[in-house]
Amino acid sequence: MVELLSGNYAIAEAVRLCDVDFIAAYPITPQTPIYEKISEMVSDGKIRGQMMRAESEHSAMAACISASLTGVRVFTASSSQGIAFMHEMLHFASGNRVPIVMGCVNRVVSSPWAFGSDQTDTLSQRDTGWLQLYCENGQEALDTVIMAYRVAETVFLPVMVIIDGFYTSHFIEPVDIPEKENVDRYLPPKNLPNRFDHRNPAFLQNVVDAFYYSEFKKRQFEDTLRAKDVIVEADRIFGDTFGRSYGIVEAVHLDDAEIGIVTSGAITSCARLSVRNLREKGIKAGLLKIKLFRPFPYEEVVRYLSHLKKVVVIDRNVSVGKGGIFCDELKASMCNLENRPQIYGFIGGLCGEDLPPELIEKITLYVLREEKPPEMPIWIHGTNF
Amino acid sequence: MTEVKFIGRGGHGAVVAAQILAKAFFLRGFYPQCYSLFGGERRGAPVKSFLRVDSEKILLKCEIKRADHLIVMAKDLILEEPIMNHVKQGGIVLINSDEPLELKENVNLAYVDAQKIASECGLGNIINTAMLGAYARINQDLPMEFLEKAVREYVPAKVEENLAALRRAYNETRSP
Repeated sequence: MVELLSGNYAIAEAVRLCDVDFIAAYPITPQTPIYEKISEMVSDGKIRGQMMRAESEHSAMAACISASLTGVRVFTASSSQGIAFMHEMLHFASGNRVPIVMGCVNRVVSSPWAFGSDQTDTLSQRDTGWLQLYCENGQEALDTVIMAYRVAETVFLPVMVIIDGFYTSHFIEPVDIPEKENVDRYLPPKNLPNRFDHRNPAFLQNVVDAFYYSEFKKRQFEDTLRAKDVIVEADRIFGDTFGRSYGIVEAVHLDDAEIGIVTSGAITSCARLSVRNLREKGIKAGLLKIKLFRPFPYEEVVRYLSHLKKVVVIDRNVSVGKGGIFCDELKASMCNLENRPQIYGFIGGLCGEDLPPELIEKITLYVLREEKPPEMPIWIHGTNF
Repeated sequence: MTEVKFIGRGGHGAVVAAQILAKAFFLRGFYPQCYSLFGGERRGAPVKSFLRVDSEKILLKCEIKRADHLIVMAKDLILEEPIMNHVKQGGIVLINSDEPLELKENVNLAYVDAQKIASECGLGNIINTAMLGAYARINQDLPMEFLEKAVREYVPAKVEENLAALRRAYNETRSP
């Protein structure tokens, strides 16, 4: 059934459809509507699970880890400062191999204090061992939460399903809500191991020596790489079941392109229009949307971009002192190729600063005129293209 | 594609107005996209809400700067900022006003005393449904039956009073 939903409410609907048993969360703008809607659904009996209104995000994640170890299906959601406050527990979650799914709504990390979208909150958690999936709109977010449980409960790794604050979290658009019976069939049966007996509580974090530590990390690393195939498969079967699939990356008109634009999240939608407009003007532009950030889809990046002369990467995030984070990952993926495209990194749309299709077109035309990319990123803010 | 912008103050119902209008267009078979901007969630603060409507999926995930249709719920707000910052040349401007209005700008103007209608219908300062009734009068693409259905779904209380305000405003909308 198609309904008008914000991206936040689309995520809450997915939590209902997945029969989540336990939700622990703390409200923070722009994630709060997820928290409120789930709370309402639990109160109305639409979600049979329990909701714990935690006193902080750190506690929420600690509760999620413990609950997940008892074998129940767990969800939480956060943004910005909340995700930063969880940071320590995020490592515990992936190290304990708990299949938690977390809805993340990108918002700037203070200071200065602000509310708009900036992926730096989730990208700063790059090395915590969570799988990261960046969604373009509310529909994709709903679908990806459902896929995320299938993936998490197969590989025993936690998953972040990420949307842009405001542009996705608060934009209301038609969203198709799948039938619950089909979601039940799509998801694995709830048969997670009970690794923690709450009637006989015990400390689970054993101290290990260097040999065991390395053994644990190596296995976690290898399983995270293997998760890519599991995600591809989960997406394919989702497509067979529900008629929608997204891929871990999506290539648009890249085969015959002379220049490729690389985006993630909500900016992708505007970039689709930019590619269409540029092609109408006779410029062979293409687009690569990167959905999966961890594990990074380096093979796909090489497959779709290595034949190009020039690549434009637009990052709504910044690693201060270095550059856009997607851009850096992209450069690293191609550094051992003999022939590789010039890569132009742009930082823009921070705090939700407007990034309409016309501006992306201007950036693309600017790069076509340039001879050599600068080492450091180009700031869209304050530059006249 | 048509872009609609509401400007009002907290308490007028501008946010829900955009959502009701989105639903009405959706019921009519269009693809709507709506969102709101707050200066801070409090009564009296300026609030803007926005709606895009098209026959196909909307990919624009960026701001609406100058809309095709501007709905002004508080007249004093267009004294603070030039009206052409909000609306395109030749666009439609609908204003909540207790007196006949004329504008020197190149827009098609309509006005309605939404405050009086809302108040007499028992809705106090919540003028959103009255403004939507007036909007249906100036945008003939949206028959009233779809707005009525959307109001029934979105209005949390005083449904009949809101429907009365919707219909009365439709009839009392004027152009200079």
